[in-house]
Amino acid sequence: MGRLFVITLEGSVYSCSHCHTHLALLDDIISKSFHCRHGKAYLFDKVSVNITVGEKEERMMMTGLHTVVDIFCVGCGSIVGWKYESAHEKTQKYKEGKFILERFKVLGPDGSNYLVNHDAMVSGSDADNA
Amino acid sequence: MIAMMLLLSMFDVSHLVYIMLPEIYGFRHFMGVAEDSEPPLKRVKGPLEESKSLPEDHSTAKSVSCSLGDQMARPLTSQGDGETIGSQGVIRKAEFIKIITRALYSLGYDKSGALLEEESGIPLHSSVVNLFMGQVTNGKWDDSVATLRTIGLSDEIMKSASFLILEQKFLELLKMEKFAAALDTLRNEIVPLHVNLDRVHKLASCIISPSQCMRLGISGQDTEGTKSGSKILEKLQKLLPAAIMIPEKRLEHLVERALDVQREACVFHNTSDSDLSLYSDHQCGKNQIPSQTLQILEAHKNEVWFVQFSHNGKYLGSSSKDHSAIIWEVKENGQVLLKHILCGHQKPVLIVSWSPDDSQILTCGQDEVIRRWDVSSGECLHVYEKTGVGLISCGWFPDGRGIFAGMTDKSICLWDLDGRDLECWKGQRTLRISDMAITDDGKRIISVCRESAILLLDREAKFDRLIEEVDMITSFSLSKDNKFLLVNLMNQEIHLWSIEGDPKLISEYKGHKRTRFVIRSCFGGLDQSFIASGSEDSQVYIWHRCSGELLLALPGHSGAVNCVSWNPGNLHMLASASDDGTIRIWGLDHFNLKGGEQSNGSNHHCNGRS
Repeated sequence: MGRLFVITLEGSVYSCSHCHTHLALLDDIISKSFHCRHGKAYLFDKVSVNITVGEKEERMMMTGLHTVVDIFCVGCGSIVGWKYESAHEKTQKYKEGKFILERFKVLGPDGSNYLVNHDAMVSGSDADNA
Repeated sequence: MIAMMLLLSMFDVSHLVYIMLPEIYGFRHFMGVAEDSEPPLKRVKGPLEESKSLPEDHSTAKSVSCSLGDQMARPLTSQGDGETIGSQGVIRKAEFIKIITRALYSLGYDKSGALLEEESGIPLHSSVVNLFMGQVTNGKWDDSVATLRTIGLSDEIMKSASFLILEQKFLELLKMEKFAAALDTLRNEIVPLHVNLDRVHKLASCIISPSQCMRLGISGQDTEGTKSGSKILEKLQKLLPAAIMIPEKRLEHLVERALDVQREACVFHNTSDSDLSLYSDHQCGKNQIPSQTLQILEAHKNEVWFVQFSHNGKYLGSSSKDHSAIIWEVKENGQVLLKHILCGHQKPVLIVSWSPDDSQILTCGQDEVIRRWDVSSGECLHVYEKTGVGLISCGWFPDGRGIFAGMTDKSICLWDLDGRDLECWKGQRTLRISDMAITDDGKRIISVCRESAILLLDREAKFDRLIEEVDMITSFSLSKDNKFLLVNLMNQEIHLWSIEGDPKLISEYKGHKRTRFVIRSCFGGLDQSFIASGSEDSQVYIWHRCSGELLLALPGHSGAVNCVSWNPGNLHMLASASDDGTIRIWGLDHFNLKGGEQSNGSNHHCNGRS
């Protein structure tokens, strides 16, 4: 629906595995040693393009209680990870304002589906990418 | 007389000034001419630099305010000078009556004016001022200068006023060929005033060069008795304090100012000034803003992404995800009817752009080509494309002889109508999703050059200026007068920038919803006093441009509203394009068109030639 507002990133790009919309840059990775229910996850300094955020909620994780918001791909609406709004434990404060992308939800430089300067389908609509 | 002219002709103008203006150059006696012991006005000796001067036309726009001497002619306290009227006690009764009297005389109601003066006991002007005005009107220059001294003006104003009068005396003497008397007036009356020395030099040159008088704008007409007196009186009126000589249109000015204040305070003001009345305080209601759906246009088969009225407001262009654009005709009764469906694009059509004369229209396919169409026939006239590069935005040269386009490779190209390259700017000039505009003088191209910055590219100076925004820019719109830019941001804000000189943020508008799509806003209404925008919550939002106040949120659409356009030819017509596949025409509450829900299909033009 609507003419999607989508930014095209340049460089080594992580993109949505479903609709190939650009999400983040390799250069913005802080750590690859995170995990989620579905497997590996990467911590990014910023995932500022082509996402929308959900409602804030308290979530208990392996490292303690955090306030988080889910992040969705604007192209297809898939949940691709979450953002740490606040951490309740002092040792976890470094995560605040940072983003998690679930590895199986994205295509990227360290996988077989490495995309660079990907330009396809960047401003279609939901129906195009469903 | 001939002898005098011969004598004068022996000197050039600069020598002449030395002869006539000894005091300026610091000589007490020059060529045996002794300085007058008692000039007409009290002299103020002082350095040349300190002399005050009037502008060339020796009339000042604003009345000079000054502390007036005790001896100034004033109304007596018994005339109600201390008495006030009105609920707030700030209107002095005497001033109020004088202004009414002045208005009566200005309107030609002399008897009524005189009667009001008599009945109220408050004369419009003091007897001294009346005498002075009569003397000026009748061209009695010496008498008027003498009377001027008795009015009780500040030194500065008195000198400036005397200069105006004596200059007129000088010019009349010149016209009558009384050169000796004119010279005497210049030397002994005008020069000692130490006012406007540059003008004095020019007056001096008039004696030997009549053509100089013409260059100064002094003609025979200016020196004709009563006529010249009236003109001088007009100039004096601007110079003398308003309390002494009440300005001619003072009441009109006060009323106009009151109307201005009321109009500026009226956030819904969207009517022509002829509708303003003095009988009651002006206040428009919400019914002056288009808020009622008058028509629903349903010819598109998919989401409508863009809509724009032509410059003259007689047509509406729309573009859709269904790969088509449509030209709609706006009839005189306000009915909007389908004129042409423009087919030929292989991808969704992002935008349409009207030629300056509204005879042609451009359509831009998404990462595809630009097509130029004839509005009257619906025929495709030309297809613009560049091998290996997609086009994402377009617009017209102000003269209608060429077009500009934004490319997927981030360059901007200018083409003539036949598609020949005129100019091209490579590099980070535009984004993949980008709006572009060009100012009416053709000098500046405006483009989103990176996520949060707009480029103001000066074509002549080859000079770039940037508007740096706080968040990503999703779209922008240029005002009709090219002075303002309306910028839609990722963070659900719309910012108004002044782009005259250094860009400056003027106002912010909030309340609409935007999370995923390109949502567009526009200027509209009387003097473009309103800001309208689409929104992802299916509503049209309208703000007051100056105050930033959200005035209306209009429900009706069943999908995101992608774009809005306010009809430049009809203050009360607004169009909105939505994901629900329709275009809504909004108008005033009390104005309902019959059969508005019908979609009028005719004249389908498909597969315009390449």
